[in-house]
Amino acid sequence: MEDKRSELKKIIMDTRTLPTLPNVISKLNALSDNDKASVQEMARIVSSDQVLSARILRLANSPSYGFYRVSTISNAMILLGVNVVKSLALSSSIFAIMEKNSVGLWEHSLGVGVAANLLARKLGLPECEEIATAALLHDIGKVIVSLKCSEAAKEILGLTNERQIYTMEAEREVIGTDHAEIGGWLAKSWFLPDKLSEPIAFHHDVDKSLNHRIKTSVVHIADVLIKASDFGNSGDRYVPVIQKIAWDTLKLNVQIMTELVAEIEDKLIEVRNFSLEMMSE
Amino acid sequence: MQKIPLMLAKAGMVLARDVFRGDSPVGMPICGKDTVLTDALITRLDQMDIQTVCVEGHPVWEEGERTFDELLQNLDRRFEKSRQEPLNSMLYDIYKAYLAKSMGG
Repeated sequence: MEDKRSELKKIIMDTRTLPTLPNVISKLNALSDNDKASVQEMARIVSSDQVLSARILRLANSPSYGFYRVSTISNAMILLGVNVVKSLALSSSIFAIMEKNSVGLWEHSLGVGVAANLLARKLGLPECEEIATAALLHDIGKVIVSLKCSEAAKEILGLTNERQIYTMEAEREVIGTDHAEIGGWLAKSWFLPDKLSEPIAFHHDVDKSLNHRIKTSVVHIADVLIKASDFGNSGDRYVPVIQKIAWDTLKLNVQIMTELVAEIEDKLIEVRNFSLEMMSE
Repeated sequence: MQKIPLMLAKAGMVLARDVFRGDSPVGMPICGKDTVLTDALITRLDQMDIQTVCVEGHPVWEEGERTFDELLQNLDRRFEKSRQEPLNSMLYDIYKAYLAKSMGG
């Protein structure tokens, strides 16, 4: 099992390229041809695609640019320039098209991004955009598993259905690791700052998050909420147990959660609209 | 009342809430509550980049959309493994109340 895990880690560390959803590319292209397209507008579209976001963040944080750590798409846009982002987007379009189930995962990620942003704002936390970015990328490990180990991914899915267990448990059984840990490796190999890699790596184990526990807690709670709301498809059919440490860290209560659920559901309609638009193109 | 994406709005539906520019409830509404939608109006709203509208009743039954009972059954199923935990049980109650409110009102 340990062999499998280290073998997988090697594969992940080697991963320099990932595919992206082509609709995002065409949307971005249409925008950048339009002179009025603002950085914010482009950032919004790029942020809707986790792989493209990750590619841009990776580049912004790579030693060849050597600025400081960049952790949001808008910052990356400003630092790298619209043209670099555009050419990145173009080069991404040649990569293989994601399988159908990735659309569900993409919607799930978008939803968790939205939920995390709303929760962070509601609690008056600093760096909401960073928290939302971490939330958008939290399941990036799942994309890697289905991409790099498609056989194992099928086995994992089979196991979750057959034994009615969480994806996480099936992953640990089949590949000796899980999507959160894999996402953490990936984030590290891309030189993403800790405030992004920690929530990705520990969104299922909040107590292991030592430096950015508040952010990790937000991503964990947002993930639970989106699974409870049945938005998108994370691959998990069951709502995870809310970790008490996350609840206590954020000092949540029934009233906050009741208001938050209504706000999220309201916002998810817009997310769906956006996702419908993308698919109809 | 149902909040729907503008692309699913049809002529004849009645607005249940004022429509504001940029979806934010500040400033002057651009289209008032109780207005009956027409094709021309929907086109106009689309040009103004309005994403969603709230309409009376529950006129849009999308593919795969479920009744309250079915939604509740699904909610039960999703919480099957975690409902014995006090925090999850509380979240279950919040969602159940939300579903009842959104389908009934």
